[in-house]
Amino acid sequence: MNLTLRVNGRSVDVDVEPTTMLVDVLRDQVGLTGPRVTCGVGLCGTCTVLLDGEPVSGCILMTPLAVGKEITTVEGLPEDDRVVACFDKHHAFQCGFCIPGMVLTAREMVDKGHAGDREEIREGLGGNLCRCGCYLKIIDAIEEAAR
Amino acid sequence: MTTSERQPDAPGASSAVTGINPRITAGIRYPVDGGIPGEWHLRIIRSDVPAGRVTGFETSLLDDEIVFISPDDVKELPRFGCQIADQIVLTREPKFVGDAIAAVVAPTLKDARVAASLVEVSYEQRTAVYDELAALRDESPLVHERHHTSESDSAYFDMRPQDGTNVCHRFRIRTPNLRGREEVAVVTDLTDPDEPLADAFDDAEVIVDEVFQTPAAAHVPMEPHAANAQWVDGRLEVVTGTQTPFNMRQDLAGIFGIAAEDVRIVVPPMGGAFGAKTFIRTEAITALAARLTGRPVRCVLDRDEVFNEVTRHPATVRVRLGAKKDGTFVAKRIWAYVNTGAYADCGPGVAQKMGYAGVGPYRFDHVAVDSYCIYTNLPPGGAFRGYGAMQSVWASERVVDMMADQLGVDAVELRRQNLLREGDTFCTGEVMHDAHFEELLDDAAAAVDWKRDGDRAGKGVAIMLKGMQTPSTAEARIELLPDGRYEVQAATADMGQGASEMLTRLAAENLKCETDQIVVCVPDTDRVPYDTRTTSSRSTHMMSRALEEAARDLIEHGRVGHGHVSNDGGLDPDTGQGVASSHWHQGSASADLVVDEDTGVIALSTLYASSYAGKVVNKHGAELQQEGSMTLGLGTALFEELQFTEGQMTNPNLSDYNIASALDVASISHRVMELPGAEVHGLGETAVPPVPPAIGNAVASLGYDVRQLPMTPERVLDARREQEES
Repeated sequence: MNLTLRVNGRSVDVDVEPTTMLVDVLRDQVGLTGPRVTCGVGLCGTCTVLLDGEPVSGCILMTPLAVGKEITTVEGLPEDDRVVACFDKHHAFQCGFCIPGMVLTAREMVDKGHAGDREEIREGLGGNLCRCGCYLKIIDAIEEAAR
Repeated sequence: MTTSERQPDAPGASSAVTGINPRITAGIRYPVDGGIPGEWHLRIIRSDVPAGRVTGFETSLLDDEIVFISPDDVKELPRFGCQIADQIVLTREPKFVGDAIAAVVAPTLKDARVAASLVEVSYEQRTAVYDELAALRDESPLVHERHHTSESDSAYFDMRPQDGTNVCHRFRIRTPNLRGREEVAVVTDLTDPDEPLADAFDDAEVIVDEVFQTPAAAHVPMEPHAANAQWVDGRLEVVTGTQTPFNMRQDLAGIFGIAAEDVRIVVPPMGGAFGAKTFIRTEAITALAARLTGRPVRCVLDRDEVFNEVTRHPATVRVRLGAKKDGTFVAKRIWAYVNTGAYADCGPGVAQKMGYAGVGPYRFDHVAVDSYCIYTNLPPGGAFRGYGAMQSVWASERVVDMMADQLGVDAVELRRQNLLREGDTFCTGEVMHDAHFEELLDDAAAAVDWKRDGDRAGKGVAIMLKGMQTPSTAEARIELLPDGRYEVQAATADMGQGASEMLTRLAAENLKCETDQIVVCVPDTDRVPYDTRTTSSRSTHMMSRALEEAARDLIEHGRVGHGHVSNDGGLDPDTGQGVASSHWHQGSASADLVVDEDTGVIALSTLYASSYAGKVVNKHGAELQQEGSMTLGLGTALFEELQFTEGQMTNPNLSDYNIASALDVASISHRVMELPGAEVHGLGETAVPPVPPAIGNAVASLGYDVRQLPMTPERVLDARREQEES
């Protein structure tokens, strides 16, 4: 089926099957690499994208469900994004594979005022896994971004 | 402007790149993001049985354009394997559930998936064995008939296969007075009285003799294994995520019967590896598929395949520790049973390190170690952050606390009394240099407010030493580019540990220039000089020396500078004497916790680690390596375990196999112990091994003597029940 998606402020025409997951479309047809597949079952958060500002797991979201909504990937954040700047300042990454998902989850936490203290930030990151184990610096970064 | 002079809020402030680091904004390409135009997709068909023989493939449902590859297509290709040549590109005799028995190649990934599901396989099943001790019994089936030592550079010590058994390598340590005894080849019983060496304990007034277990675990790199291969004018080009580009070049050249120079390995930055992306994984079958189809071919593993591709070795470790009543350690005996699964991979090396790391940083009159690398029908074990040390340090540091209990002395003081100090001799005959164990021990104890005569319920400490790959060679080249910048050419693979950052900073320091004048090329065996591999926390140490030499050479000779350093050494497999490591990774950990007596849940208030770093190249990078190691150690201690039913992994996914999340790290703090002017020490794994026994000792202090990792609530409660019953 042919669909039109709104991705990072642009309209994109894609040709998918109803069951094609959003992350695959964004990677294979839209040419983005920020959303990534790790667990494939919506648990680890590397496929996180914002759908009208809400973080969702792109690996378990069937593409037609994203039609009519604004999809934001890390590539769509402004160059001077404060969350990105704080991740950079705190060196809150190692391999970086999980970081775009972390940044988008953090973006929403900061926007909604859900990053009040370290405990709240840890809770908010429960669905984003980092095997390099950068959590302490990621929490530092989000804490500063929310300040 | 150097990094340190930048404004702390300026983009790039924390790393040696200009602007925001591209790893945050998806500005770098991982192997899984890349691809070669026009490539087809490979899916591996895997064995459903843990041991047996494929009697037939039914492929009549496949479309004409699908290329089916069977074991018949690899008949001419030699066996390979990094330490024992026991693997074949596709096998007709599968040895674990998940073994590669065939493959399909199709124009799209979807077509390849469909095709793989349409192939029917028939088997003749054989008896399998899963447990490392069961595999030593006389009646056990042999997983491999013979054990051929590999010709590969990665077989860096003499193998001691025990023919007619499942032991593909036996590593022994025998300190001088314990040699030349009549001994059995393999000790198969955990209650063996050890008569031939019993006199080692003659001076011991107290002996603790206990058995500990660690399970298989998964590396879980966030990026799956992704390989791309093509043949260009008779040369093989592979773009893949690997920590071992030069080993891979050599092994692929051997498999395809071509010169090493006719294989090119290119390694983009990886989305994590932790040991999982070492030696040949999917690269050989992908290269074969490219040759058979005459096209570029790509293979990306699904998550359940990543889980089964390579694991951490399950191990059973028996430790016998003897001491005098005044606390002086007299003798140590270790039997380590290392379950390497269906293929040896680097299991012999892991067995060796497990053997000597279990001795620990202590003085003994006598040490005897037997470490056996044992085949079973589980998925292969391989390199894993901590590399064998975790398994034996878990056992040996728990035993030190048990000895302290028996003697009625303080566990920290007992350690202090016996620690190796500068100039002491380790069980391998090496004289310790740059030893900082006492400072590390004190640091860990202080972090949990350990007091000699205070209440220590819920507190635990552990200390360990770990070696670096020895022998080992590193080369680096620095080239002055026409635009005035310098290019660093080195094979150190970037898997997230900050390799290019490290090379940039070191090159700038040595050339006395700014970091933005340095570019680091992607590891590409056509362009970079030889390096042993990116493992064993060796790269920053070895490359710091190679780059220093390269910079000096460049300054002296003009446009290109070459650095070459090598560390000689290695251990005799029969006596364990020699050079285990050219420098030591030294670390301690401590924990303060409570156990819920109704649920068995462990709640940490402090988890601390202290590691000796020598000179730190990159402060953030050093801290991150430490925090990452501790986070892995925490998961290892509390919940990470691969489970199997009849050899089939039952939790190969992140919903059933838990790794630590942000919710688990609140208790973590640490120290990277820096010593200005010292040499660079590796830090990639130092904080992994001491964490589980520090937690285990704290848990045991509350009356829960858990012997098996992970310390799940069930095991914690069972431990108390067993203690009460006994």
